[in-house]
Amino acid sequence: MTTLEHPTNQHYDLDPRIFGLFLGESRKYSSGWFDTGKETLDEAQRRKMDVVADLVHVRPGSRVLDIGSGWGALVLHLAGVHGCDVTGISPARRQREYVEKRARELELADRVRVITSPFEDATELPRGLDAVTALGSVVHMPDLQAVFAKARGLLRRDGRMYVSESCFRNAATRARFDRVDGTDFVRRSIFGNGELRPLSELVAAAEDVGFSIETTLDLTWHYHRTIEQWSENVRTGAAALDAVRPGIAAQLEHYLDVSNAGWGYTTKHYALVLRNAR
Amino acid sequence: MSVPIADQITDIVRAIVAEVLAVPAGELATDTDLREVEGTDSIKVLRLIARIEREYDVELEDDDVFGVSTIADVAGVVRKALDG
Repeated sequence: MTTLEHPTNQHYDLDPRIFGLFLGESRKYSSGWFDTGKETLDEAQRRKMDVVADLVHVRPGSRVLDIGSGWGALVLHLAGVHGCDVTGISPARRQREYVEKRARELELADRVRVITSPFEDATELPRGLDAVTALGSVVHMPDLQAVFAKARGLLRRDGRMYVSESCFRNAATRARFDRVDGTDFVRRSIFGNGELRPLSELVAAAEDVGFSIETTLDLTWHYHRTIEQWSENVRTGAAALDAVRPGIAAQLEHYLDVSNAGWGYTTKHYALVLRNAR
Repeated sequence: MSVPIADQITDIVRAIVAEVLAVPAGELATDTDLREVEGTDSIKVLRLIARIEREYDVELEDDDVFGVSTIADVAGVVRKALDG
């Protein structure tokens, strides 16, 4: 299979300008970190990436793999601000081209590498890593236990994995909502093969492959605030968005509305720090 | 805080429903099925519940959040939560 043929989700292969118009300068497509709620989106995203760096204990020279690296916000931040040697992996080819261009512009090309592949199939991955990160990407991977086992196999002893994911609030909520209109809309139009799970399934899969669970964080409120700011950007940038792709502003606004209405009722957003240690 | 009487709760719930679902309050009977109101979907009903929880500073049970269908139902579970 060539890199052009990976069955990535259409959403992520949309014109990168679309994401630049509503995700802010970092194009980071995951939750920010709001200490007060008054921060700008860009401040909250930078703060979040520092929080992740702290949670996985990286230092200058640390070797990191970012699974589902998107437009490279975390890859470029860990390389540029924390001095890490970072590999990103994503199935979306356009994302690799974008990240490699940004890395050259920031003179980080020697510390940044991007692989175009689904993580599950990738064979040329670095090993003995200090950290693995996966921000909102395991939702697209049906076999969670295989993903965690593979990630653990890439970590050095005592290395850490940071996983953040949107989850059903509990098993009962999943049973009730896995097949309703709002969920189907999000799955069909955005996620492709997205599979929301309750946190307990993430914990069980991590335990079963031998990780120690070091930290669990509730990021729901942070994500709610993040999406409020994305929605605001979609509204103010609607004309520019529709000029790139007619109708995209309304579709994004609906998606973001559905997502934000469900937090705390049907969905939660959690982060886990897993440690490759006894 | 004194517990509001049932009619007051019903009136406030009706006003919030009218606002969130964008329909005139006069068109909303207490036994109107909220999911049958034109232009409504499950997301709007959820947003409505969230608004009512904030208004009364209560957290409704999941079965109530997802089970209510009329204004009378909503007012009933709010009263139950306030009494609890």
